[in-house]
Amino acid sequence: MNLFQSITSALDNALAKDPTAVIFGEDVAFGGVFRCTVGLRDKYGKDRVFNTPLCEQGIVGFGIGIAVTGATAIAEIQFADYIFPAFDQIVNEAAKYRYRSGDLFNCGSLTIRAPWGCVGHGALYHSQSPEAFFAHCPGIKVVIPRSPLQAKGLLLSCIEDKNPCIFFEPKILYRAAVEQVPVEPYNIPLSQAEVLQTGNDVTMVAWGTQVHVIKEVAAMAQEKLGVSCEVIDLRTILPWDTETICKSVAKTGRLLISHEAPLTGGFASEISSSVQEECFLNLEAPIARVCGYDTPFPHIFEPFYIPDKWKCYDALRRMINY
Amino acid sequence: MAALRALRWRRLPGLAPRRLRSTAEPPEERPQFPGASAAFSERLEFIQPQVLAGIPVYRVMDRQGHVLRDTEDPQVTRVTRDTHTCPGALTCAHLSHLCPPVPTCPQLPREEVLKLYRTMTLLNTMDRILYESQRQVRPGTMGTPGHTWALTWALTWHTWGRISFYMTNYGEEGTHVGSAAALDANDLVFGQYREAAVGAAYAIKRADASRAVVCYFGEGAASEGDAHAGFNFAATLECPIVFFCRNNGYAISTPTAEQYRGDGIAARGPGYGLPSVRVDGNDVFAVFNATREARRRAVAENRPFLIEAMTYRIGHHSTSDDSSAYRSVDEVNYWDKQDHPISRLRLFLQRRAWWDERQEQQWRQSSRKMVPFWGEIPR
Repeated sequence: MNLFQSITSALDNALAKDPTAVIFGEDVAFGGVFRCTVGLRDKYGKDRVFNTPLCEQGIVGFGIGIAVTGATAIAEIQFADYIFPAFDQIVNEAAKYRYRSGDLFNCGSLTIRAPWGCVGHGALYHSQSPEAFFAHCPGIKVVIPRSPLQAKGLLLSCIEDKNPCIFFEPKILYRAAVEQVPVEPYNIPLSQAEVLQTGNDVTMVAWGTQVHVIKEVAAMAQEKLGVSCEVIDLRTILPWDTETICKSVAKTGRLLISHEAPLTGGFASEISSSVQEECFLNLEAPIARVCGYDTPFPHIFEPFYIPDKWKCYDALRRMINY
Repeated sequence: MAALRALRWRRLPGLAPRRLRSTAEPPEERPQFPGASAAFSERLEFIQPQVLAGIPVYRVMDRQGHVLRDTEDPQVTRVTRDTHTCPGALTCAHLSHLCPPVPTCPQLPREEVLKLYRTMTLLNTMDRILYESQRQVRPGTMGTPGHTWALTWALTWHTWGRISFYMTNYGEEGTHVGSAAALDANDLVFGQYREAAVGAAYAIKRADASRAVVCYFGEGAASEGDAHAGFNFAATLECPIVFFCRNNGYAISTPTAEQYRGDGIAARGPGYGLPSVRVDGNDVFAVFNATREARRRAVAENRPFLIEAMTYRIGHHSTSDDSSAYRSVDEVNYWDKQDHPISRLRLFLQRRAWWDERQEQQWRQSSRKMVPFWGEIPR
């Protein structure tokens, strides 16, 4: 399956298992602009897979209400770039529902899915990676898969998690990434980073599409510099797996974090700050962050904007030579 | 026929004058747009907001507690009018037409009406006690020998009330109690959270066809995008929900003239596809009748209803507000003395000889003791 098919498979499993589960958002009824919900309305009925008016605030607020009654709500925001009208609902309502009611009420059965990240031609409003805005919000979980196999397991875990979750799907991988994916349901645990490749000299951390970039950088480093890299996919941004990252940095002494989102206030800054607190005496070099520039996401200049393998390799080399 | 009328075309800037429509087209031709199919018109006419102005205020009692029309008296048992036969209910195209309300509430027996009165007065009593409790300084709690008098005074003034924040219901008891009495025990109540209320209604529609959701909000909250989203989603997704707007004249200090320029909130409902009504919020029977009927139909038809209850906020917005800064005490006193929901119901009860001064005094004594902290507040 490719990524969008693995998403469809996860949603299919979720609706089959949980009769209260519903999927809604803009254009999901016909299958969705990225085809993630193809066939589900025919299979499960129009009261379970349906379009909403064009209003992200309404989509998320409505989803909160469904979840408050105990039913499972799977909301789609058409692009992560459009999630901001729903920011108040996510941060002030969903994230605080359980806390403010002293656990009398909650909207834990809410999951919000949104296509995320650069796609080659998305420009300002079809390319954003807004995970950092939500990382600053206790009460929700933020999850980003790197592949079809990961996506299905992580999405099912989000849907079953008892907290409202945001699941960002790298849109550039919807068709490009293809893997063998089981049709039966399975779960991948949240808040657990995955070490894809062990190494001794440098730890590299990324999530989503960028994981594939740093894998390539690790190969380049091995070939050109004889440097062995530990490559880690963070997978869950909030709450993030500090232990795996810190253990790795304690071993290697060097950390490179890379994401498409702009540098300032990006999630790499949170990781960097926490790691220097925990592993200060282990560090051989300053922590490197290879990120997008502090500008809106460009259209024609995208190839210059994104943290490509050359920028990452360059930063790694400077760390090695520090 | 219309095609042969002499038409005066306004010359729109930049466009050539239009030709007359061909007389060969059938006269019953209607627009085919997916978005709207109301009839064609050859007259350029902007719908003036005044067309919607003055949605009338439904009431059962006058200010002296007289029931004005027997059919609306909640003590009278009524036959349900089938909404499908009512010509106005679902198909009316005239915005100013209002189907005469035919409440289908079961009889509100005397004990229920007395319960309404006791609940409204208990709420009022609770407000007085808890408001004072928030205000109160507890003497002696900060006094230590080492403090100066000034420091002690400053510290005790700051935070030593029992409650950090309180909002009273003065003047609006009719809206709260009248509507609550019309709901079923299993209905869901949302205060604010308009979109979540709609989501909850959708979910319970799937799970249980007998429950409704009611969502309360003020005329100020109706300006938020939340309300727009809530109305639109409720209508498009066919949710059994009653939106109950308490229009009390003020959003903290902002009067309604600065909150909206249309005809209140009730006029917005039809724009979203919601059957809507405006009621006298200080008439507990009007509130009850409207809520009962809206709830019944919302569940029966799986559609949202909008009730705008007109009332007046006699108290301050909250314990952090002093409303004398933005409105006159005379205005407040007018409403307190001339049109108070508790007074109107009491007059009704006295007219029926269901309540008297002795019972009033007894109830005042006993109801105080039902409220926490009552013993700490000087009478």
